[in-house]
Amino acid sequence: MFSLVLDIATTASILFSVAAGLLVVLGVLKIVNFAHGAFLVIGAYSALVVTWLGLNPWFAYPVAFFFGAIIGAVIERLVVRPIYNRPLDAILATWGLSIVIGQLITIGFGREIQFVQTPIAGAITMFGETYSQYRLFLVLAAVVVAGGIGALLNATRLGLEARAVIMNEPLAMALGINSDRVRFITFCFGSALASLAGALITPLSSVDPNLGIPWLVNAFMLVLVSSVSLASLATAAVVLGGAQVLVSTFVSPVIGGLTIVVLAALILRLRPEGFSRG
Amino acid sequence: MSHVLEIRGVSSGYGEAIILRDVSLTIAEGEIFALLGKNGMGKSTLLKTALGFLRARSGAIHLLGQDVTGREPYKVARLSLAYSPQEGALFQELTVEENLRLVQPAGRRLQAGIERISEYFPIIRQRLDQKAGTLSGGEQKMLIISRALLVEPHLILIDEISEGLQPSVIDRLADILRRERQRTGVSILLVEQNVTFALSVADRYAILKIGEIAAAGRVTGPETAASVHAHLRI
Amino acid sequence: MAKMSVTATGSRFARNRVFWVLGLACVSLAIIGAGPFLFDTYTVNILVRSFLYAATALTVDILWGYTGILTFGQSAFFGIGAYAAALTFTHFGFSTEMALLALVAGVAVSAAVAAIVGWISFWHGASSLYVAIVTLALPIIVVQLLYTGGTFTGSSSGLVGFEAFDLSVEAWFWITGSALVVLTVGGWFLVNSDFGRVLVALRENESRCTYLGINAPRLKILLMVVAAVIAALAGYGYASYTVVVAPEIASFVFGTELVIWVALGGRGTLIGPVLGTVAIDFISAYLSGNLPYVWKLIVGIIFVVVIVALPEGFLPVITRAGRWLSGCFRHAPKIVQSGSVALSLAEPPSTVGEGAGQPAVSVKSLGKRYGSSTILDGVDFTASGSEILSIVGPNGAGKTTLMRCLSSGTERSAGTVFFYGADIGRLPPYSVTALGVGRSFQTTSLFDTLTVAECLRLARFRLQRPAFWRRDQRLVLPPAAMRVVVATALDTQLTTEARHLSHGQKRALELAMVLALEPRVLFLDEPTAGLTKQERTLIGSILVDLTRREALCVLLIEHDLEFVREISTRILVLHQGKVLLDGSVQEVVESEIVRSIYAGHVKPETGETRL
Repeated sequence: MFSLVLDIATTASILFSVAAGLLVVLGVLKIVNFAHGAFLVIGAYSALVVTWLGLNPWFAYPVAFFFGAIIGAVIERLVVRPIYNRPLDAILATWGLSIVIGQLITIGFGREIQFVQTPIAGAITMFGETYSQYRLFLVLAAVVVAGGIGALLNATRLGLEARAVIMNEPLAMALGINSDRVRFITFCFGSALASLAGALITPLSSVDPNLGIPWLVNAFMLVLVSSVSLASLATAAVVLGGAQVLVSTFVSPVIGGLTIVVLAALILRLRPEGFSRG
Repeated sequence: MSHVLEIRGVSSGYGEAIILRDVSLTIAEGEIFALLGKNGMGKSTLLKTALGFLRARSGAIHLLGQDVTGREPYKVARLSLAYSPQEGALFQELTVEENLRLVQPAGRRLQAGIERISEYFPIIRQRLDQKAGTLSGGEQKMLIISRALLVEPHLILIDEISEGLQPSVIDRLADILRRERQRTGVSILLVEQNVTFALSVADRYAILKIGEIAAAGRVTGPETAASVHAHLRI
Repeated sequence: MAKMSVTATGSRFARNRVFWVLGLACVSLAIIGAGPFLFDTYTVNILVRSFLYAATALTVDILWGYTGILTFGQSAFFGIGAYAAALTFTHFGFSTEMALLALVAGVAVSAAVAAIVGWISFWHGASSLYVAIVTLALPIIVVQLLYTGGTFTGSSSGLVGFEAFDLSVEAWFWITGSALVVLTVGGWFLVNSDFGRVLVALRENESRCTYLGINAPRLKILLMVVAAVIAALAGYGYASYTVVVAPEIASFVFGTELVIWVALGGRGTLIGPVLGTVAIDFISAYLSGNLPYVWKLIVGIIFVVVIVALPEGFLPVITRAGRWLSGCFRHAPKIVQSGSVALSLAEPPSTVGEGAGQPAVSVKSLGKRYGSSTILDGVDFTASGSEILSIVGPNGAGKTTLMRCLSSGTERSAGTVFFYGADIGRLPPYSVTALGVGRSFQTTSLFDTLTVAECLRLARFRLQRPAFWRRDQRLVLPPAAMRVVVATALDTQLTTEARHLSHGQKRALELAMVLALEPRVLFLDEPTAGLTKQERTLIGSILVDLTRREALCVLLIEHDLEFVREISTRILVLHQGKVLLDGSVQEVVESEIVRSIYAGHVKPETGETRL
């Protein structure tokens, strides 16, 4: 029972961390970054590089964040900005990019499944049950990510401008805010977050070029269901993540993997605002 | 004499529709100018074109001595001017303080500005942490004006601020605009449907009718009001 | 019935195009017939597969290129068709009955799944992003289900070696090749028919279509089902040919590959995706042995570049280059006529329609809230036939919102709206239009690439189903629409694309389209915006004429108060969401209250005491 609760908590945390970057980009740029999965992979392989270089595994996170930001910057300038007013094409272009990135990584690193060194190993015993310490750490990580985004949005000038652009871009422009620059920085940040999430999740399983894919649709659905609100995203992560865990445990893991997609599609069909107070 | 705003032969519109046809007007330093006319006659379109939200099909726009024709809105907005749009003028979900902070970054100048504005509108200081959307309609308009006055710009563009305000509040507003002009020499372009209010503060006026300037002149006295009303008769 | 024939030159051109297409088809069939003798076995083998993929890509082009439905999920239906064959033949053996059973099963399951997916995705107001993601999720779900099938479905290794049709590679080549040609020709007839124009209209402005009485969700679901069936048939062929099925053929990777092929070949061109698919798949087969990842990388990069810089794809670029080249060598006539159109008058509807005794429009306690703000509150009024009711008021009074709440049952928050006694309830726009309501829009929201005649025909959708496989040369219009078309000289512009019209003509076309719906109640939102004085006078006289001759009830939102005064029979003054005054032109013009809100002495809201 207790491990079930922990499972729900950790699954929700992982989902939140993975989807947070997507949400931020959607809010400010109003596009869904279909290259999100590729950034997860970039983060994972950054962690792999850190392992290969024999560095302290904790370095994986800042390294992943850094590479995500850099690559995000290039993509925003070259691909996202020119098609800003073609949202459907933005989906395709970013999707194409994920294929390109995936292939580059495959060519560079090979297709085999590889492993990273986890910074926290072992399990902890609580209430008579043992649970992976790393998974518990992920809950903390999700909280830090949420806190970090919240702090940036609410306590910095850039965050204020970003919130203004999210709410009413023409008004923001009329007040002198360079919305182009805000979009650029937001995209870099969102990509960096995605990359960080990739580094966070790899110690759980392994590293291969296709690891982004199972997370992709789930992250999209979570973001659609949350509208543009971190609080709704957290709620959605808990509710849908919890459903997934329950179905996986009591029905079948494979059907469990489909729970989020099916539930989210139905929720949106019946209540288009999803979980937000809209 | 330098002009704060100079619009020469500007035509613009939306898509294929031409809303403004060859419009010209100038505003001098320290002048309050009223742009009058009924709905749909192009007043807001003129403001949007001046600010760069709409591309001028022909003509030129000079703001504070610079040629801003075709410049991006946020660049135009950064030239010592303040714009208060007719709709969607506030961020409803941001607090009063955040709405102000967007035009004046946090610091001593922001604090001094808030102090100064609160002499006109004590509400501002009292409601700093309240979300703008929770203020009443009139209070929101006060916040919009406060935001414009905060940065002590050279030119303020105000689009239909008096709508929905009580007469007493409108009188106060007129008083505040006159005082600010006295204090700082700011120029004000007032787009209005409320002729009485507009003429009570303006030095000069122009009437827009179906995208063209139908009449213009100095505000001299009660006869101005009569003549304007004649133009705007239903 | 008066007949007005207006023809444009080039009626022979339309017939010529048909001959060209059929000619090309025959040539292609000939090439296919000769194929096995021209190419080596390996090539023929690859091409059979490519043909089946191309057939599936065709469905993606119709859905996405023409109708604007971005879908990554056609692979799921391909997989369903394939697995229907594989499962049946593996577990029940192969025989004619089994082959038929598998075929029917594959088609039926695909159709059912498509209908469900369509119902989930295509509801009034759904975003295309949502549709894209649902169609992305579909193949994932299908693949997962296949994985869980254990030995029944073969799980991740799939099913192999089952017995299937005993045909040679050449026979398969001829079958799939000719099927592809037939499908492409059929597709060509479809997209060039009047129905094809409806698809394009859906892509360009679906919202406008729903206000023209077109049940967009139902159409899209129908399209999805047909596309699914075709994809399933292709999958059935694939399984029967290769005798190997694995979950990958139903995966979203394949689904996105289809989209990539369509995008590269040229979306919305039909031939482009077909040729593009065959070419790319063919090349992939040859290269994937040597440099699989590099090839995929190259395709990926080209895809991104095409989307960003060359969104139409390669075929249009090639044909444009070809035309430019041939233009260099001979002076071909520049104008391309798309066929003639003959206008004729419809039988006037019987003047006594349903609910004749009731008022045309009856609105009671209409309210609209958005979040915490009240936009409309307690609006009451009625209007009858032969009346022009103008709705005026300052900005923000709620006029356009009122019109929205009247033309769609889904908009208002409170109150009732009746048209000739029929309650609009929660009906979507296309159902309200069916009650006899026509609405025109403030911003000209026309269909850029459709011609004047096609726009008008679109408006006739509800009353005259468009043909599925040809272009009707006749355009039947009701007298009211005909009058507008003739008076504004649109009858000389029938084959001009809407985007090339002047602003005034676009407004006229908008009006004509709305009148083509044969409405009994007409809503016009700022019909004179941006028009010259002459054009205003013309529109005014047309409206007055309409109410006199056709007993139309016209509701008008206008800022031009002189225009309002000249043509209205009644004026409704809205202020801050409430009805301030409802009376004759005389009453309103002379009213003190109205004068004061226009001169600016606003009546304060109660409760405003501070500052």
